[in-house]
Amino acid sequence: MTTEDSRAQYLASGASPGEESRDRLDLIRDVLSTDATWAEAPPQVADALLAALAVEGAPMSVASEPSSGRWALVLAGAGTLVAIAALVLGTVSVIQDEGENLVAMSGTELEAAARGEAAFGPTEAGWWIRLDVTGLPPAPDGSYYEGWVWSDDGEGVSIGTFHLRGEAMPVVLWSGVPLAEYPSIWVTLESEDDGPEASELIVMTGRIPQAPEA
Amino acid sequence: MDREVLERFRIGDEAAVKAVYDRYGGPVFALSMSILGEHGLAADATQQTFIKAWRAASTYDADRSFAPWIYAIARRTAIDLYRKRARVVVSDNVDVVSFPIGLETVWEVFEVRSALDRLPDEERQVVKMSHFDGLTHVEIAQRLDIPVGTVKSRSHRAHQRLIEMLKHVEEA
Repeated sequence: MTTEDSRAQYLASGASPGEESRDRLDLIRDVLSTDATWAEAPPQVADALLAALAVEGAPMSVASEPSSGRWALVLAGAGTLVAIAALVLGTVSVIQDEGENLVAMSGTELEAAARGEAAFGPTEAGWWIRLDVTGLPPAPDGSYYEGWVWSDDGEGVSIGTFHLRGEAMPVVLWSGVPLAEYPSIWVTLESEDDGPEASELIVMTGRIPQAPEA
Repeated sequence: MDREVLERFRIGDEAAVKAVYDRYGGPVFALSMSILGEHGLAADATQQTFIKAWRAASTYDADRSFAPWIYAIARRTAIDLYRKRARVVVSDNVDVVSFPIGLETVWEVFEVRSALDRLPDEERQVVKMSHFDGLTHVEIAQRLDIPVGTVKSRSHRAHQRLIEMLKHVEEA
């Protein structure tokens, strides 16, 4: 048996009876048995990463595209915003700032101090939605916030979760459904013990009055 | 990692960012888990690590190894996140931040995971079932419905590859 074979055998099985221990190989064996070594990142991390880079203006970004017809529609709708009631309790508005589309987000009675904006833009794989709000406290232990886009037919699609117990805003979320058909943006407070459906604890709302087509 | 990929990563090419994530996402997440111990926080740390790496990509020297560079960013990011979280919890004593785990093994976790991710899937599976699940070769053979001899040969090859890939860790 070569030295390499012997070390491979040790790594596989540890010290044989009477064999001298090898500290570094024992350490590697310990590492091979820990949870962290084998932990897999949720698949959303890759999507969120690409969305975040798109927001930052990487070459892949389409967020800084010059205004096109569809964005002009958004702006055209802005004039009528004041008259449009929010889906629930929030007020709505849309601003376009240097190619970035912004929707005002307002806290409901559950988090009346929360306010901010949701920027959004298309990518080849869907839509990125960046929430940047203040006044929304970290989700209590055992709970988390969940972003949703909702159609006017009452169908909601999750766009990701966050808890604000770590890094502060902004949070980048991701939609695979067209915002033209799902123009309302909600944030709900969810319990880790509940199912995947949206809870009734809506903490923030916003609405794209005349959403762009994907 | 291919120098051309790293060069394209430096200029923010989407396919290159994906390739770098595919290669180093696992080790960075494992490192983050070893420091933070929670999937959600580790996911945050992993995302932040790659964003920081992308922002700093123009400072990366493509003639040097990429792994130590991304490792340093990942370790710092996870520790920063841990400190922020600890400060929230220990609000009356913000300067005292205790780490629940030994940071001295973080590098080993990163390197071991990097090596594991380079194993063929069937060999990686046997290593995981052996070391992490604590199964014997016979039990692994039963679980996978393959001959015990096949398990032994896969295990032997896998550990030989690991020894070769982790020589620098063994000799550190």
